[in-house]
Amino acid sequence: MKTVLEFRNVSAGYHSVPVIRNLDLTVTEGQMVGILGPNGAGKTTFLRCITGLCSPMTGIVSIFGSDVTRLPAAERARLIAVVPQELEIPASFTVQEIVMIGRTASLNRWSQPSLCDVKIVERAMVYTDVADIKHRPVTELSGGEKQRVIVAMALAQEPRMILMDEATSHLDMNHRLEIMQIIERLNIEKGVSVIMVSHDLNLTAEFCQRIILMDRGKIAADGKPSEVLTENILSTIYNCNVRVQKNQANGSVCVLPAPRLTSAHSGRGITVHVVAGGGCGEEILRRLNLADYTITSGVLNKGDSDAEVAGVLGIPTVLEKPFSPVSRDILDKALVMAESADIIVVCAVPFGPGNAGNLELAEQALAKGKQVFLIDGISQRDYTYNREATTRAQKLLQNGARVFQNIPELLKALPTSA
Amino acid sequence: MFKRNHIVIYFLVAVPIILLLCIMTGSTGFGIPDTGTETGRSILYLRLYRVFTGFVVGAALSCAGAVLQALLRNPLAEPYVIGVSSGAGLGATLAIASGLSAISSATLPFSAFVFAIATLVIVYGLANTAGRISIYGLVLSGVIVSSICSSLLMSIVALSQSHEIQSIMWWLLGNLEVSSRPLFIVSSVLILVGSCGIWLMAPELNALSLGREMAHHVGVRTKLSIAIGLILATLITAAAVSISGLIGFVGLVVPHTVRTITGPDHRRLIPVTAITGGLFLALCDAVARIALAPRELPVGVVTALIGGPFFITILRGRRKQGWIE
Repeated sequence: MKTVLEFRNVSAGYHSVPVIRNLDLTVTEGQMVGILGPNGAGKTTFLRCITGLCSPMTGIVSIFGSDVTRLPAAERARLIAVVPQELEIPASFTVQEIVMIGRTASLNRWSQPSLCDVKIVERAMVYTDVADIKHRPVTELSGGEKQRVIVAMALAQEPRMILMDEATSHLDMNHRLEIMQIIERLNIEKGVSVIMVSHDLNLTAEFCQRIILMDRGKIAADGKPSEVLTENILSTIYNCNVRVQKNQANGSVCVLPAPRLTSAHSGRGITVHVVAGGGCGEEILRRLNLADYTITSGVLNKGDSDAEVAGVLGIPTVLEKPFSPVSRDILDKALVMAESADIIVVCAVPFGPGNAGNLELAEQALAKGKQVFLIDGISQRDYTYNREATTRAQKLLQNGARVFQNIPELLKALPTSA
Repeated sequence: MFKRNHIVIYFLVAVPIILLLCIMTGSTGFGIPDTGTETGRSILYLRLYRVFTGFVVGAALSCAGAVLQALLRNPLAEPYVIGVSSGAGLGATLAIASGLSAISSATLPFSAFVFAIATLVIVYGLANTAGRISIYGLVLSGVIVSSICSSLLMSIVALSQSHEIQSIMWWLLGNLEVSSRPLFIVSSVLILVGSCGIWLMAPELNALSLGREMAHHVGVRTKLSIAIGLILATLITAAAVSISGLIGFVGLVVPHTVRTITGPDHRRLIPVTAITGGLFLALCDAVARIALAPRELPVGVVTALIGGPFFITILRGRRKQGWIE
C-alpha cells in the first residue's frame, strides 16, 4: 500500500513552544483515520502541519511523498482538501459559486471556468445532494445544508485525501450521520484517504478503521477502535471515568462517560451537616453535592453567600435573620436537623460571639459517637471573648474530631456508600 | 443566472444614456452645446473631458473599495474610510508644494502611491492585535491616521504661497476639473492596468472572502495574493487621488449596491463595479454642477452626502449579521 502521509520526528507549535513533540506516523492510501484526544492534545496543530499552515520546527511532514512546506499551493490543493468545523461565508455567494471556489487552483484567470471545471462542480453538488439548491444564497441555508456545501467545495478540489476538522461537531445527529456517510462513500468508492479530528468518540469508532489517540502532543495509542478505546486507556487520558460497551447493532465500540457509576466518591445515602458562613462553604457544598451526599446546613444568616448556594442546590438549611447573632430557638432547630446527620463538617468560618453557638452542633454529634471534621486553623479565625471557639475546638479534637487541610483531603476521609 | 444576464443587458443600454445626460448638463445650461460656434465646441470639449475624468476616477475608487472589502473581510473598508486616500493626498500635496510635480507628470502619482502604501501599512499595523483585525479597529485607526495626514496636509497648505492655496483647497474637496493632461493620461493608464489586474485576481478574491485559511486550503498563495491585491488597490487609489483629490465613499456605496445585483462573485463584481462606479461619479458631478448653478459644488461634497448615511446603514446592518470576526 502506498504511503499518503508521513510524519518523521515532527515537533511543531507556536512562538517556539512545541505543541506536538517528536511525532512519527504513517498513513497508507485508502485509510480512514480518526484523531481523538482531550482539548489541547495537539490535534489541530497536527492538522495544520498537514495542510502547511504550520511549519514544523523539526522533522518533515510529507504527503504523497513530497515535503508539504515545499509543495506549490496549487499542487497541494489537488492532493488535500479540508472541511472545517464552520465556515463564515460573509457575502451572499450562491451554492454553485461556493463550490466553484474549490476549483480555484485549476481555474484559468483569463477565461470563464472551463466545461471540465463546471462538470466537476456539478458532480460534487450531486454527490452531496445540493444540486437542487445550487442557485440559493448560502446565507439562507440551514447548518446541515451549509456543511454539505462545504463538503462539496472540498470534493470539487478532487483531492486524494480529505481532512475533517471537527466537521460535524455543531450538527445534529441526523446531519452528522449524513456528512459521515458522504465521506465514507467517497472513501470506499474513490479510495480517498480520510483523516478526521473529532470529539465524538462513538462516531469516530463507527466510521474509522484506525484511531489515533493523542495526549499532550504525543501519540498515546494507535490501532483499531476496539484496541484504542478501552476503559483503561480512556480513563487515564481523559481523566474521567468511562464505560466502554460493544455496540450490538454494528459491532463497533460505544463509549459512555460514567461519572456516577464507578465514582470512588459516591456518598449516596450518607447525610452530612455542614457548618459554614461568609462564603467559606460554597465549594464544599458544591463538591459534596456532586459526590451525591445528602446535605443539610445551618445555622446561616439569610443573604449569606453560603446560604444562597445552599438554596440553589436545594440543601435544607436552618436560617437566622440577616446580620443577627444566632438565637437559642434557631440553634435548637439546627440541633434537631443535625441529629439526623451522620457526619458534621465545620468549614473555615470565622467564629465570633454571634455564631460560636454553631459549635454546639459538633459537640452534640461527637457525644452521640458521630464523626466530626474540622478544617485546620480555627485559632486564626477566632474573634470570640477569651478565645472561646479555640478552646471548644481543642476539646472537640481531644474527644475524637478529625482535622482536614483542604477539600480533596476531606473527600478522601469521608465515608462512602460503596 | 438568467435574471442576472437580463440585468447586465439593461445595464449596457443604460451606460451611454446616462453618459449622454451627464454631457448635456452643465452650469451653462441643459442640452448639447451648439457645435457650430467656437464657444459651443469648447464647452462640449470641457464637458466631455470632465465626464470622462469622473468615469475613470469613479471606476478606480469603486474597484479599490471592492478589493479592500474582500481582502480585509470588512464591509466598511474603502480607500477614504481606511485613510489610504488621505495618505495619497498628502503625498500628492507634497509633490506639488515641493515642485517635484513640475519635473514629470509621473512624479505626482508616484509620490501619492508611496504615501498611500505607507498609510495602509500603518493603519493595518494599528488595527492588528495578535493576528486578528477587528472591523471597528480598522475603521478607527483609519480615521486616526487619516486625520493626522489631513493636519499635515493643512500645514503644508498654510505654509505655501497664497495663490496656490485656493487650488489646493479646491482639489482637496474633490474636483474633476483636470489641470494637466499628461497627468490625466498617466493616471488613467495606471487605473486601467490596475483594474484589469484586479479583475484577473477574481478567483483569488473569491477564495479570500472565505478567510485566509480556507483560501490556503483551496490552493491560493495567500500572502502573495493579499500583498498584490492591496498594492493594486492602493495604486489605483493613488492614481485617482492624483487626478481628482479626495473623493470619499464612492468605494463604499458602489460595490455594496452592485453586490446586491450581481452577487459577490468577483469575476462579475469587479467589471460591473468599475462601470457603475464610473457612472455614479459622473452623475454626482453632474449634480454638483447644476445643484447651485451657476456656482459649482465640489463633487466630494455630493458623494459624502450620499455615502455618509449609506455608511451608517451598513455599520448597523452588518453588526447584526456578523459579517466579520
